[in-house]
Order: sequence, then C-alpha cells, then structure tokens
Amino acid sequence: MVEIGVLALRLALIGGLYAVLAAIFGAQMRRPALVRSSRQAAYAVHALVAAAALVLWHALITRDFSLEYVASYSSSTLALPYRIAALWGGQAGSLLFWVLILTTMSTVVHLQNRERNEALMPYVTATLMTIAAFFLALLVFITGPFERLPVPATEGADLNPLLQNYWMMIHPPSLYLGYVGCSVPFAFAIAALATGRLGDVWIRTTRRWTLFAWFFLSVGNLLGARWAYEELGWGGYWAWDPVENAAFMPWLVCTAFLHSVMIQEKKNMLKMWNMVLVLLTFCLTIFGTFLTRSGIVSSVHSFTQSGLGPFFVAFLLAIIAIVVVLVTMRRELLRGENEIDSFLSREAAFLFNNLLFVGIAFATFWGTIFPVISEAVRGIKITVGPPFFNKVNTPLGLALLFMTGIGPVIAWRRASARNLRRSFTVPLLLGFVTGIAIFASGWRNYYAVVCFSLSAFVLATIFMEFYRGTRARQALMGETPARALSNLVGKNRRRYGGYVIHVGVVMVFIGVAASSAFRLEEQETIKKGAVVNVGAFELTYKDIHFTDGAHYSSMLAEIEVKKNGTFVETMFPEKRFYKKQQQPTTEVALRSTLIEDLYLVLGSYDDASGLMTLIVFVNPLVNWIWIGGLVLVLGTVIVMSPTAAEQRALAAALAVEERGLEAALR
Amino acid sequence: MDRNRRFIIGAAIIVAAVTYLVYTGIRETSVYYLTIDEFLTRREAVAGEGLRVAGRVGADSVKWNGATLDLKFRLANFEDDDGVDVTYNGVLPDMFAEGRDVIVEGTYAHQGAFHARTLLTACPSKYEAEVAKN
Repeated sequence: MVEIGVLALRLALIGGLYAVLAAIFGAQMRRPALVRSSRQAAYAVHALVAAAALVLWHALITRDFSLEYVASYSSSTLALPYRIAALWGGQAGSLLFWVLILTTMSTVVHLQNRERNEALMPYVTATLMTIAAFFLALLVFITGPFERLPVPATEGADLNPLLQNYWMMIHPPSLYLGYVGCSVPFAFAIAALATGRLGDVWIRTTRRWTLFAWFFLSVGNLLGARWAYEELGWGGYWAWDPVENAAFMPWLVCTAFLHSVMIQEKKNMLKMWNMVLVLLTFCLTIFGTFLTRSGIVSSVHSFTQSGLGPFFVAFLLAIIAIVVVLVTMRRELLRGENEIDSFLSREAAFLFNNLLFVGIAFATFWGTIFPVISEAVRGIKITVGPPFFNKVNTPLGLALLFMTGIGPVIAWRRASARNLRRSFTVPLLLGFVTGIAIFASGWRNYYAVVCFSLSAFVLATIFMEFYRGTRARQALMGETPARALSNLVGKNRRRYGGYVIHVGVVMVFIGVAASSAFRLEEQETIKKGAVVNVGAFELTYKDIHFTDGAHYSSMLAEIEVKKNGTFVETMFPEKRFYKKQQQPTTEVALRSTLIEDLYLVLGSYDDASGLMTLIVFVNPLVNWIWIGGLVLVLGTVIVMSPTAAEQRALAAALAVEERGLEAALR
Repeated sequence: MDRNRRFIIGAAIIVAAVTYLVYTGIRETSVYYLTIDEFLTRREAVAGEGLRVAGRVGADSVKWNGATLDLKFRLANFEDDDGVDVTYNGVLPDMFAEGRDVIVEGTYAHQGAFHARTLLTACPSKYEAEVAKN
C-alpha cells in the first residue's frame, strides 16, 4: 500500500517535469500533439498525487504506526475527523495536501480551457506544473510522507492538542485553497507575458480564480483568528505572528489587485501595476510558505526547522528572476493608454487605495523580516512585536476605510462639485455626528472614535447607493421596492456584491476597533465562594470538578455569572491534560452576544491551597468580526454567482433600457 | 504634466507616510532579540534594556507557587550548563515545562535576575511532534 504512495509521488514528479517540457516545446515549435500530451500529463500528475494522498489518508485512518508520519501526528485514541485532518497537521503531509490542491486546480483550469485560450494554455500548463514539480521534488527527495520507522511504533505521539479543534479542520484547507488559488492568476500572467498577449483576456479569464483565491484567503485568515481566539486562551484573535502575517500579506496585495484590475478593464490603465500585483501576490504566498517552514523567524506556529528553507529561497529567487526578465521584455506592451485626469476621480481613489494596501503589506513585511535584516546589517537581531504593527497599520487601515467610502461612489475621470455634494454630504455629516456622539458619551480612544465615525460614513455611502438604485428602478421600471432591489443586485452583481463585501469589511473594522480599544481584562486568584467583578459582570467561583477520560483528563471551574445583578448563566472554563503528549491545554468558556463576549480562562489551580486563578476578558463587539466575515462570504457569492444563459439573453435585450437607467443613476 | 505632478505628490505623501510610520514604529517598539548564548556573553552590556531572549527551561529549575503565581526558573543554554535566573508573575503557559524552548521578554538587572514581563512558549517540536523511536 505504502509503496504505491511512494511510487505515485515519483511518477508524479516525472510526469510534472515532462508536462513542463512538452508544453513549452510544443508551443514554441507549434506541435499541437505535444501540447495535447502535456495536458494529458497534467491530468496524470493530478491522478497520481490524489493516489498518494489517498494512501496517506488510508494509513492515518487505519492507524498504520509503522509510518513515521502517522506515528507522529495521530494516535490510537485520536478521533476520526482529526485523523483525517492530520494529513495537513505536519510538514510532509501538508506539502502533499498543497500539491493535491494545486493539481486539482490545474485539472479544473485545463477542463475549463479545453477550447479556449489556445495560445496561453501551454504556458499555463508549464507554470502550474513547474510549481507542482517543485513541491513534488521536496516530497520525493527531502521530506517524504511515507518514511517508515525502523521499528513500527505501537502507539502514535498524537496530533498536537492545540490542533484538535474543529476550526483546525477547516482553517488550513481554506488558507491553502487561497494560497494555491493564487497560482492560477499567476500562471495566466506568466503565459500572457510569455506570449505577449497582454490584453484583457488573461485578466478576464482569471477574474473568477482571483476572487476564489481571495475569498479563501479572507475566510482562512478569519478562521485562523477564530481558532486563535477560542483555542489559545489569551483573549485575543490576532497577534501579528509571522505566520499570520504570512497569510495576511498575499491577501492585502490580492485585494489591491482586485480593485486596480477594474481600472484596467474600464480605462485600460495600470497594466504594469496590475501585472506586478499578480506576480507579487504569488511570490508572497511562496514567501509565506517559506516563513512557516524555514524557522527563519521565530513564531509560535513554525514547523520544525526542516532544512526546507534554502529550497524555498532558491525557488523564490528563480521565480523572481524569470518574472523580472519577462516583465522587462514586455515593458512596452504593458504601457497604459490613458492617464489619470484628476485627483477627484475614481481612478485616483483606486490608485490611492492600492498604495495603502501595498503600504500595509510593505510595513507588515518589513516588521516580519526585520530581525533577519537587522542581523545581516548590524549583526544583532532586533525584533518588533505587535505594538509596531498596530502603530503602523492602524492609521493606514483607517485611511483605507475612508477610501472604502470614497472609491466606489466618486465619479470616473473628474468628479464634479455636484457629484461630490450629492454623494458625500449626507454620509460625511453622518460620520461626523457619529464621531461626536461617541466622543460625547465618554469614549476617549481616538483611533476607535475615528474608526466608528468612518464606519458610519462608509455604511451611509453604501446605503445611499442601494437606496438610489432601488428608487431609480422603481421610478423607471415601475417595480415594487423588493423586486427593484433584487433586480438591482442581480443585474449588477459585481458592483452591489462588492458593496456587500464592503459592509462585511466595515463590520470587521468595528469589531476590531471596539474589542482592542475597550476590552476589559482581570486576573484574580480566588478561593471557592469568592466573587470577581468585571464591568457589568459579577462572577462567583462555585466549585471545581475533575473528570478523567482515555484521551485526556480535565478540570472545570464552575462559575456563576450575573450581569447587572441578574443571573445569566453558569460557565465552565476548563483545563485539559492530554495524556499522550503530557500537555495541558486551555479550553475557554465563552458567552458570546452581539454586544460583548465574556471570555473565561481557568489559569491555574493549586491543590494545596485550593486557590484557583481565573482570567476574565470582556471583549465588546468582537462578534461583529465573525458576522462581518459571513457578510463578506455572502457578498463574494453574489459577485461570483454565474449569470445563467437566459439571464444573459435577457440582459442583452434589456441593454438599451439599462443604459437609460445607468444614465438616470448618475 | 501638471496633473501628473500632482499625482506624484499624492503618491509620494502616502509613501512618505508609510516610511515615516515604519521608521518611528521600529525605533519605538524594537527590542533586542538574543539567543541565550548571546545573552550570556554580553549580559552586562544589555542590562536595563528591553530584551527578548530565547532559551530552554533548565532541568529541575522550576519553582512555581500556584497561590501567588510566582514563577522562578533558570533559562539555560542548549547544553544546560549555563543560564540565567528568570522571575515571572502570572499564569503558566500550557506548553511551559522543563526542557521546553521558551522566549522571555523583559529586562535584566545588573548581576541579578531576568525579570520577564511576558513568557512565550515556542515549543521545541513546534507542531512537529517528536517520534517515539522505541
């Protein structure tokens, strides 16, 4: 069984390399048969990688402890879902999982483009298969998932308890889908550069893929935050850890690209800039993988220092070299055809939005690798922590929030005074009133007040867009308000889906601002019967309970919770002790409402004195981060939802009317 | 031309703002990051400064009082033949144990002990578990 896995990986590597060569030679020498063969090889690679993954899954599920990987990341008492998740719980398995996703996407891309993009596709095949071959080479030569132990183990070391959490089931796959999804736009960008076909085709072909990757990067980051919040027990959700940054940076650049690409589609500008953003996004995903695998910067997340670092550096440098050569070769073709007319225009707003996104990415990058740089330059490692990232990124983030209100609403080319008055008077007023009201009611955190004020401004601009659009439809088409709204969104999915995403983002901003500026934290070491007061909460330590199971033992503190004097709930913060790994873990007790989260941690329990340390966090509005995430999902579904053929026909028929309507909307 | 110049100014303002924020951010928030060996050789020179030191919890060195939450341990080097005493007050992190890799953040007093404000556990096996090769 295991031999099949080993063989499959080797054959996949050979197949991948063949596909690269066949695709490039086939395209260069105009040999369609060779190109077809490269496509077949890409399918075969996918099948072989899938076979290898199934073999590893089989070994994990059947608890084959003769395999080093299985013995390291699972145990006989580990529940089935976690044995399945153990595939991405360790180094080799997660690399295999990575290639599995990449080759699956490669197959989908090839199927989608069987009849399309004949000129681009060979280079897309070559690029995707080069990436696959790199990861396969690591799996075959450096870190094999099918290594056998000299003597089969009788029991596994178990999956890290921190990973035994349901968020862990979905967070890494989501992030990987996002990371790997960035390879597809990258592959098309390379193909466009290689063939010199730098028109809109490659961008339109990959729009959905870019959105797909962006979507999973967003969701992956939020799930990771949620996992940290529930599992790590420090009351927060984001620590600017290098691994978090590694996933955050490609998201930032990808988001910048999604915005600036609209300028290219509409105005044929920023071609070079867009190309750079696509290439940079992909490089950052590889860089992120490198960060997590090399141990170059210390992180609580890192995998073992596995010696993979140099390979990733070499791969990254090779990519950058190829990219620089290609872009230089094609720089004439990447010239834009138009210039920006005015500061007060949508083009300018998008450009500034882009600079802010890239600025935040740059600051994050700089802070993350600063220890490495300072060591190289000054011979001493200097590190910056969360204060650096908060200090730098908060003002930039707020500026970005402001642009979220401006960008989608301001007129193209040159905004007239009338356009500005019409679009921004009410929202600006509302923003100011909100800010003053919050300030007057005694909240004195300036950044948070500014954030709420800007949020009100942005939400108002979005609301007005929906309101005006719906009203215009009602007036012109005589539709009912509900029908007008659904038609408005349905016929302009990109635009209004985009607004919905912005609403989600504003919610995330509000949640982050409130929970970081106004959180309460209290730590008390108390005896049974003692009371702790935090904000409106009154917590009574009633009792402590001990339980014992096969997989772990645990102790639970019984805490009676009163809010403003009335009993609301009994909560049980827990400390578990995982037996295989001899490791305690904290299981947070959480009472989550739309207003605030009450977050209880059983810090420690001292048998001798009977003293228990309780850590209490009250995090206001933190739930809106996750709700914002769901709204973002909804918005992305709207943006990506395909329009059926009949709707397209209908749209064509309605085009004339639509144009009239568009004019009415302006 | 005039238009372009305005744009370059606009873009330059953003670039300058980012640079300024990064520069001051690094100046105000940076701390030295030392391995325990580097710390031991230059400890008197860096006394009183904000430090981050990575080392290993020395064998049989942990003294923990669950009632007062006072923790004392020796932050030792790889061979566990040299180290510095660390004091910390707070809840023990889950991954904290003798022989584990930890990072302490705080200050070192001349000839004295290292007072840690934060105690981070970067577990040595990270997410890779050690295999029981029996």
